[in-house]
Amino acid sequence: MSDLKIINLVKNFVGMDRPAVNNVNLKINSGELVAFLGPSGCGKTTILKMITGLFAPDNGDIVLDNKSLLPIPTENRGVVMVFQNYLLFPYMNVNENVGFALKMKGIDKNVIEKKVREMLDLVKLPDIGFRKPKQLSGGQQQRVALARALIASPRLLLLDEPLSNLDAHLRDEMRDLIVTIQKKLNVTTIFVTHDQEEAVLLADKIALIFDGELQNYTSPKNYYEQPKNIKAAKFFGGVNFIKSKKINNEFISDIGKINYVGENINDLNDEINITIRPENIKLSKTNDFDHNSFKGNIKSIIFSGTHTRYKIIINNLELECSLQSLGIKNINQGDEIFVHLPKDKIWGMND
Amino acid sequence: MGGERLKIILSLTPPLLIIITLFFGGIFYGFLQSLGYQPAIGKYDINFSAYYNVMFSERYSKLFWTGLGLNLWVSFASTFLAAVFALFGALAIRKTFFAKTVCNFIYSLNLPMPHLVVAVGMIFVFSQSGLLARFASQLGLINSPGDFPVLVRDKYGFGIILAYIWKEAAFFFIILMSVLQSLGENFEELAQSLGANRWQRFRYVILPLVMPNLFSASIIVFAFSFGAYEVPALLGVIYPQMLPVMAFEFFLNPDLNARSEGMALSIIIALIVMILVVFYFWLTQAKIRKD
Ligand SMILES: Nc1ncnc2c1ncn2[C@@H]1O[C@H](COP(=O)(O)OP(=O)(O)OP(=O)(O)O)[C@@H](O)[C@H]1O
Ligand SMILES: [Mg+2]
Repeated sequence: MSDLKIINLVKNFVGMDRPAVNNVNLKINSGELVAFLGPSGCGKTTILKMITGLFAPDNGDIVLDNKSLLPIPTENRGVVMVFQNYLLFPYMNVNENVGFALKMKGIDKNVIEKKVREMLDLVKLPDIGFRKPKQLSGGQQQRVALARALIASPRLLLLDEPLSNLDAHLRDEMRDLIVTIQKKLNVTTIFVTHDQEEAVLLADKIALIFDGELQNYTSPKNYYEQPKNIKAAKFFGGVNFIKSKKINNEFISDIGKINYVGENINDLNDEINITIRPENIKLSKTNDFDHNSFKGNIKSIIFSGTHTRYKIIINNLELECSLQSLGIKNINQGDEIFVHLPKDKIWGMND
Repeated sequence: MGGERLKIILSLTPPLLIIITLFFGGIFYGFLQSLGYQPAIGKYDINFSAYYNVMFSERYSKLFWTGLGLNLWVSFASTFLAAVFALFGALAIRKTFFAKTVCNFIYSLNLPMPHLVVAVGMIFVFSQSGLLARFASQLGLINSPGDFPVLVRDKYGFGIILAYIWKEAAFFFIILMSVLQSLGENFEELAQSLGANRWQRFRYVILPLVMPNLFSASIIVFAFSFGAYEVPALLGVIYPQMLPVMAFEFFLNPDLNARSEGMALSIIIALIVMILVVFYFWLTQAKIRKD
């Protein structure tokens, strides 16, 4: 078991006018693969370094299995970090690199040898044990770095942008390998990336971080359908935001009254933004819908091969809608259209 | 292209000729002299008697072999200790901005200072009539300055070693600082997260990473201290005497016949350095292959 709790974590650096990490709270369950997602400089690496103990937090706590990590020196935490640029020891061959953590523990040579072979099999790199890092491709180096990190069965595996130095097709391959190995060993893992698609493909949960602050922490699916705020929704390609006011338990907006049944209805403030994915909006030339149906005009139609995207103006508000393949037949720019926002697909956000 | 290549060779020829004449010409002429070939005093026959004289004759053999021992001791000890001091110094202060700046400054000043000046400084500070001895006797730590241990002009070469450490540590330090700077701390942080404690990080990460540079610098320092004359001449004793001093005394000898011995000894010194360097390369290469 390795449950990780990050509590009110704060880190300041001299020369920065905001905290590099600002009051971050999150909980990672044993065996989960969590992605830290955010733009460059948002504090992802800084959080990882605090979890390993390479930085001391200015405030807050990091708790692994109900025990604070803070008093424990890095080398005894059992938290292994894989750095962005692999950092294989250039003076050691692959076997020695992979066996490093066991050697530091003073484990018997024969045991190390056997375990190294196991790890290299796991990352699908048998037969290169005697090569030097220089003689390996980028993808191979990445796998060796992974094997080296996993050999001592860490309680927590931290991967800092492990795929960013690889070219596109290698990235797909490595991503699959990481997921496979992570599930097989069931090791609790944090994975840093600034690529939204990568996070969605890999992670059980995504922690979205902007400017040192945790914006949202939930499953990839929820980022699309139930984002916590506009920033999170926008980062995942959200484009439709409808300002609404709560009056007598009804939501009133510029386009009219909106029937809302979202599960967060009791947590919502009086002024909210309602969002809906473009692919969840329905269109029709006639008013066939029993609720949340609004009349608008088509502003533009763009065909992109697999989808057709419509921009629709309803009472000065622009909404984007995406229909599969060719969309609706015989409809043109400027035509009148009925827009349906199904009540189980819309989502309200406080900010 | 043949024409291009010819052009390059032709344009390089004049400087190459000068280098070849000065360097190999000098060595060749010195070698001839060491073999007893000295037309100036009417000696034309070629033999190894100068070499024999230096190494095995009753008159010089004792001086030569004790000198060789002293040479090896002084060069190894000073190179090793200078490297060790510089390494620990650099590791200790690399993360402190202020100490780093100060040390860099002091050592940069030290670097262009002639060895002769350092040697005089050693006498001034460490000799029995020097600063330290007088302080110690003023403070009552010793009865008179004469009770101060013989650190300069002593038969174990301590004064020479001290002077070399002071001087060459600066050289090592500056090289190590730039190597450590360019390595950054990522490797150490990684090793730490893989479970390496402070000692293990030094032994298995820092040391192997700086070793290639430390080794090359050591060769330079060793070769220099093995063949240099001025510091042992000032800080050494008559017996045992370091080989470069002994060679120089042969040259100072008004008897021109002694020239051959001087040359023979110089060539022996050069050969020993070369053999040691080759041996060292072989050793490190073998180690690298074994790793
Ligand atoms: N050792 C340090 N000293 C001072 N400031 C630092 C230090 N490390 C990071 N910072 C600053 O803290 C902020 C967060 O840095 P961090 O490396 O955590 O970002 P990141 O999210 O990992 O970015 P990237 O995606 O570019 O790796 C940045 O503004 C950075 O300049
Ligand atoms: Mg980073």
